[in-house]
Amino acid sequence: MISLINIEIYKIFKKWRTYISFVAIGVLVPIIHIAMLIEGEHSIEYMTRNLKQSFIFVGNLLNGFLISYLILNSLVVHIPFLIALVAGDLLAGEATAGTYRILITRPVSRFKITFSKFIAGIFYTNLLILFLAVMSLGLGILIFGTGELIVVRNSGIVIFAREDVFWRFVTAYLFASLSMSVVAALAFLFSSLVENAIGPIVSTMAIIIIFLIISAINVQFFQSIKPYLFTTYMNSWRLFFDNPMNLKEISESILILLGHVALFFGAAFHIFNKKDILS
Amino acid sequence: MKKITLALLVLTGALFPQNKDPEIILKRLMEKFNYVKDYQVDVKIKIDIDYIQAPQTKAKIYFKQPDKIHIESERLALLPKDGLNFSPSAVLQKKYTSIYEKDDVIGGHKVSIIKIIPLGEGNVILTTLYVDTKENLIRKLETTTKSKGTFSIDLNYKDGSEYSLPSEMIFSFNIDKLNIPSALSGEVEAESEQKTEERNKPVSGKVYIYYYNYKINQGIPDKIFNNSSK
Amino acid sequence: METEKVIEVNGLSKKFKEVAAVNNLYLNVYKGDVFGFLGPNGAGKSTTIRMLLSLITPNQGQIRIFGKSLKENRINILRNVGAIVESPDFYGYLSAYKNLEIIGKISGKEISRKRIMEVLELVGLHKRYKSKVKTYSHGMKQRLGIAQALLHNPDLIILDEPTTGLDPQGMKEIRDLIIHLSKQEQKTIFLSSHILYEVELVANRMIIINKGTTMIEGEVKNLLNALDLKVTFEVDDPLKAKSLIGEKAWISKLDSIIDNKMIFNLKTDDIPLLNKYFVENQVNIRAVIPRRSLEEYFLNITESAG
Repeated sequence: MISLINIEIYKIFKKWRTYISFVAIGVLVPIIHIAMLIEGEHSIEYMTRNLKQSFIFVGNLLNGFLISYLILNSLVVHIPFLIALVAGDLLAGEATAGTYRILITRPVSRFKITFSKFIAGIFYTNLLILFLAVMSLGLGILIFGTGELIVVRNSGIVIFAREDVFWRFVTAYLFASLSMSVVAALAFLFSSLVENAIGPIVSTMAIIIIFLIISAINVQFFQSIKPYLFTTYMNSWRLFFDNPMNLKEISESILILLGHVALFFGAAFHIFNKKDILS
Repeated sequence: MKKITLALLVLTGALFPQNKDPEIILKRLMEKFNYVKDYQVDVKIKIDIDYIQAPQTKAKIYFKQPDKIHIESERLALLPKDGLNFSPSAVLQKKYTSIYEKDDVIGGHKVSIIKIIPLGEGNVILTTLYVDTKENLIRKLETTTKSKGTFSIDLNYKDGSEYSLPSEMIFSFNIDKLNIPSALSGEVEAESEQKTEERNKPVSGKVYIYYYNYKINQGIPDKIFNNSSK
Repeated sequence: METEKVIEVNGLSKKFKEVAAVNNLYLNVYKGDVFGFLGPNGAGKSTTIRMLLSLITPNQGQIRIFGKSLKENRINILRNVGAIVESPDFYGYLSAYKNLEIIGKISGKEISRKRIMEVLELVGLHKRYKSKVKTYSHGMKQRLGIAQALLHNPDLIILDEPTTGLDPQGMKEIRDLIIHLSKQEQKTIFLSSHILYEVELVANRMIIINKGTTMIEGEVKNLLNALDLKVTFEVDDPLKAKSLIGEKAWISKLDSIIDNKMIFNLKTDDIPLLNKYFVENQVNIRAVIPRRSLEEYFLNITESAG
């Protein structure tokens, strides 16, 4: 099985499309950093103008932690696309290339084939998030230094002492990995249904965007559906930036997301196992 | 509004004739405070405010007469704008009318309550000083402003200190609408009506500042005050 | 001693929507056979091969390979089967060598570099082993397909149209390879092809299917001898020749006359007899061309089935 996973990871990283994601992050994050270097102070001034009517802020508000927090917030729409780009190709790509035939005629179970591809997809997802973490946190701290993190939550403003921030980011990124794994699993499921990677990529993004829109519409009916949409829990990494943390809500979110991963994989395997290979 | 307050107070004064001259009390206050030409002090700041959570931080405050203040902190420190400069001259800067109200006891100290009404335009409508006439210290200060509601400052001093520099300040306030921005950290979430309401509620709280390690009258160059507080 | 059955297909059926691609198919392949699997386009050959390789699940019927049920022993069976299904596709962004290496690893067997180069040499690709497969011509991919089928030295080799896209030289090389594998290495070969001439040259047993059902199955030479052949006698004077055979039984064998070509339906043994008759009666024979081909047979069968 390990050998199969290694092969799938090798195949992923031999395709140029895999590197689109890393290049995108490698370019986008420094651009954000540059923008913050130029405009950051201004933006902070603007954002804190009301508070500054009553309080004096002393200290480095514009630091690597704040910028990393901003970048994590942007996870919502563009990182899922980068995940779907690769995960959506895992099965459908074999159909497009016609390589199902050499793959499935091997003496290896369809479960092992599906599972190894899935794990390779999850590996890619986690690697991408790790790369995002290093670029945004690592580079951010290098350029802007550390400092206290000021976060606006529904409960109000929370300022975290700098020693209290880094571990929160670690847990938040781990959670983000889980969230993106759900996206990968969904794209993988769509990939099992079709013979071209474009379908899964578009469908995954469509689902995410539609769910997000539904969640944002302030209508009772849609708000009642919201707890059943996995996108609602994808942003629960923010719960790590609460004081005190709501462990119950965090645990629930984790379980729900893990459940989705299992469900999507299970469905993908079921479909793939029964599939007649005509390509 | 000011004129009405002034009229009422004058009337009160007329009905209850003063038996202390507020100007004398204030003058003695100023004289004692003016022994301090400059000081630098380490502070610990603790925040206890609705909707704001912050860890305890340390900072350094520099002061030079009459009203220069500079704050330095390695960490993010949130300090109330008003009340940082608790010197009497800050309160008595502009033209004002002072009225002695009565004597009272706060925190075991006998104080004279003096109302200060600034004349002319300004944000402050009324300031009430609770002056310890024995030690010539301000024990408490209450200010009503146009834009930011009322705040009060309780000052505690170390026994036997020759200077009117507090060891502890408790700044209490009440702001009508503290508009907490939702976009500070770029959050993309639906704002329910309830949350918007909460955000614009009146916010009250306290800031505790503990002063220690005063270095008084050791000479502070002006250039320190030219840098913005950081 | 009864020869071991390598492939046994009983009552195999597969429907796609309402269309029966394979309909109650029976066939047997014995050890050492070069088994020709023939049928017109759409007859169900590819579907059958895909079912043999577990790419498609049958609706009905049983497949046994090496005496074991395919459904229950898929992995064990596939360990000993090599196959090309239609035109082989590979990971174009990888080299031929890398493709074979990966295929070996997926099979759970580390294939040595020596073996990989061996099969590449066997199919004539050893000089291009480093090139990315996307740079390969169709013929080269076909050869690589055969290489991957042979990689783990399987006892059963299933070849679906292995000579598609090859030039005549290439076709001959594949034919020679098939004969070599069969005779020298005792492999059992299941060969599906449209090029019936090719099959005739290499296969010892064959089946012709149409509309997913067996039309006929048996030994190639027996099946060919069962039918008359179309034999063309090119003569100087066809009219004279015709009048010569007018009163003889030969006339019933005359199919048609086109210019100076007289076309007879004859059995193999009849050819020298007729030839001798013409010669003895001073009919000059320019050429005797038997259209002895499976193609004719095949066309007959499939046309008669409609």
